[in-house]
Amino acid sequence: MRHEERKNIEMSGNVVLRISDIDVFYGNLQALWGVSLEVKSGEMVAIAGANGAGKTTLLKTISGVLHPSKGSIEYRGKEITGLNAFEIVDRGISHVPEGRRLFPDMTVLQNLIIGSYNSKARAARRENLTRVYELFPILEERKNQLAKTLSGGQQQMVAIGRGLMANPGVIIIDEMSLGLSPILVSELFRTLHEIRGRGITILLVEQNVWRTLHEADRAYVIETGRIVLSGNAQDLVEEEEVRNAYFGA
Amino acid sequence: MSQLSGLASPVVIGILMGGLYVTIALGLSLVFGVMKVINVAHGDLVILGSYLAFSAITIWGLNPLLWLVPSLPLFFILGLLIEKYLLNRAARMSADAALIVAFGLALIVQNASQMIWTPQTRALTTSYSMTTFTVGNVYIPLVYLLDFAAALVVMVALRQFLERTYLGQAITAASQDRQTAELMGINPGRVSQIAFGIAMALAATAGIFFGLTFSFNPTSGTALLIIAFGVTILGGLGSMVGTFIGGMIFGLSQTLGGHFLGPTGQLLVPFLMVLVVLTIRPQGLFGR
Amino acid sequence: MRSYLLLMLLIAVAVGLTLLPVVGAPQIWLLYLFYFFVFLAAANMWNLLAGFSGLLALCPAAFIGLGGYTMTILTWLGIPYYLGIVVGGAVAALFAMIISVSVFRMRGVYFAIGTLVVPAILRLVFLRWKPVGGDLEGGGAGYMVKGVRAIPPETTYWLALAIGLVSVILVVTILRSKFGLGLAAIRDNDVSAASSGIDVFRLKLSSFIIAASVMGVAGGIFYMNQGYIEPNNAFDINWLMIVLLATVIGGKGLEWGPLTGTVIVVALRFQMARYVGISSLIQGLILVVIMLVAPQGIMGLVRDLRKAANSRLVS
Repeated sequence: MRHEERKNIEMSGNVVLRISDIDVFYGNLQALWGVSLEVKSGEMVAIAGANGAGKTTLLKTISGVLHPSKGSIEYRGKEITGLNAFEIVDRGISHVPEGRRLFPDMTVLQNLIIGSYNSKARAARRENLTRVYELFPILEERKNQLAKTLSGGQQQMVAIGRGLMANPGVIIIDEMSLGLSPILVSELFRTLHEIRGRGITILLVEQNVWRTLHEADRAYVIETGRIVLSGNAQDLVEEEEVRNAYFGA
Repeated sequence: MSQLSGLASPVVIGILMGGLYVTIALGLSLVFGVMKVINVAHGDLVILGSYLAFSAITIWGLNPLLWLVPSLPLFFILGLLIEKYLLNRAARMSADAALIVAFGLALIVQNASQMIWTPQTRALTTSYSMTTFTVGNVYIPLVYLLDFAAALVVMVALRQFLERTYLGQAITAASQDRQTAELMGINPGRVSQIAFGIAMALAATAGIFFGLTFSFNPTSGTALLIIAFGVTILGGLGSMVGTFIGGMIFGLSQTLGGHFLGPTGQLLVPFLMVLVVLTIRPQGLFGR
Repeated sequence: MRSYLLLMLLIAVAVGLTLLPVVGAPQIWLLYLFYFFVFLAAANMWNLLAGFSGLLALCPAAFIGLGGYTMTILTWLGIPYYLGIVVGGAVAALFAMIISVSVFRMRGVYFAIGTLVVPAILRLVFLRWKPVGGDLEGGGAGYMVKGVRAIPPETTYWLALAIGLVSVILVVTILRSKFGLGLAAIRDNDVSAASSGIDVFRLKLSSFIIAASVMGVAGGIFYMNQGYIEPNNAFDINWLMIVLLATVIGGKGLEWGPLTGTVIVVALRFQMARYVGISSLIQGLILVVIMLVAPQGIMGLVRDLRKAANSRLVS
């Protein structure tokens, strides 16, 4: 079923995000070794791996919170290595952080609006807000509710919505399914496909490898700071190593 | 002495005076929220505001309320400079470093004021300094009403700014989660600078109204800092309503302290209250 | 420096300094050194708190002033100053214990401001409260210290020298003891220190009380020399400025930081004694500049230079 949907989506084949051979350190501790990956326009790419494998470090490096000591990151052909996080949002990469990180004492609406802070997103604010409400109708119902009073699933919706308000070309979502029921996760994935259908590229990081590989187009598997496997998600699902490592006996 | 019947006056004055403390505290808490730093020089900067207003009167004959207009951008810019060149660097080093640098700044401001304006006590005297209204057997000097009105105007203006402008919301967001705010495209350094600039503009305002209400000398700032801190903490960080109520409570503690314990009580009671609040309820009344 | 060598050096210096009045050193030296040792004692103790125990206590004036007041009031009750000085230290220690009930529940900047309020409160209290002597006449809230007019200058010098040396010995000893190790662990990380079984509260409280007693004694000695005490001076923010400046210039959290810093602070004060206003202004400026440019202080710079030299040797 999802296979068909995927086949029907036009893929332009343009590399939108390219990470080349980056090393990343936390102080003196190296966290990533020679990581390279590519994301093409309109794709849903997953980065899978166990806890502590380096997934979040990789995402933080892409969004500018961390900087690589070696290697480069390009977005739409332009170098963005070393830019500050707030500058990278301006360029078009939006990061939905692990644990949602909503602004707790701001309302749903306020959280969404602040998502459109960067200069390019402000003009498209009304339009994007309407789209977010279409994707997540419940957010419109609860728009004046304080973020900290929402359930986990609703918070995740706000987080994704807030990420969309930044008018991104690429949206990075860190550990979306954490703490959520499988039903909710399925709903969210359905929404992700809708988002992708509107031309936004998605980079996913997930601990739930099995689920992610069934949804994404391509995937990279990361282990102790290195990319160990990559390829079409479907192929990886069938790969012996992956089955053993992640799907248990 | 029938102390109870004479309570009406200190209660009313205390509440009105609370407005003054609200204005002072708002600047302090704005910076604390965004930068997580207590600007211990804030009280002295308020007094600097009073002194500059004093010069405005004595040199140019300029009414303090008129002086308010140019003093706002002046102090705003001063705030941007202080944040950019002093506090920013210090805050990145450590919280202790920021505290020490702010303390150094307080000493500089205090001593510079002393050199320029001498240790002599000053006040902002205007044609309406002595104007008093009488309600029942309560005497209400006009300046206290002005203090309260100013506090209301400041609160409303600040709230509108924080809720309705992108910059204001950026400040609010950065106060709640600095790192995530950066993921929204908010430049935390710029936002801290602007917040500090606004805090200084608030200090300028507070300084003018303080000088209209009380006499001051170069060392008056310390007591203001202590009380403003108390108001901020009692009200609870991030709550403007809390700061408002905190201001009233401290204003009352000052007037009632003075009423029952004499002039020393005016500062002794508020100071003791600060210690009590810090000890038993540091999250304040409405804190997050 | 090896403990043995250090000990010999300290003893030699101590003996030399003790003999100074005997060998006819000029009065101005003794005066200079008097202030040096009193400030050194206070700075060493403040470094113990802020540099080693992670307690940014802005209340040194409280302990110093209380020590001074205790000594003074006792002279009015017929108790000689030298006993008063000791009792002053004890009163300061007791006071530290009492306020710790309140301030030790505060963390970080709350603790800093909380301790800032304490001397402010004491100042107000002593402005109104005259435990001995007559009612307040004409606003004078101070006291003369009784029975100190005939004290020879050598005695005051030796008292200051004593407390200065005590402070150095305390710091040196503590840093080489288990207590010191515990403090180092706390300063780095409160929480992990606690989980390693260190009684964080007890260590911090011990530092607090030790520092308070030494500061109290130093205060008693200082005001005995000054001959009078009054609240605006005793509980002034000036005391904080002195210890802060000395510690920061010399190097916060470093063993010999306060000593280095106090040399400079005293030199500064004497040089600028004529220009009181600008002297304080400049001290404020120095504090800000040092903190921004060389926060590790002089001894910190020395340490960094040594490290750089050593690593070059190795590579």
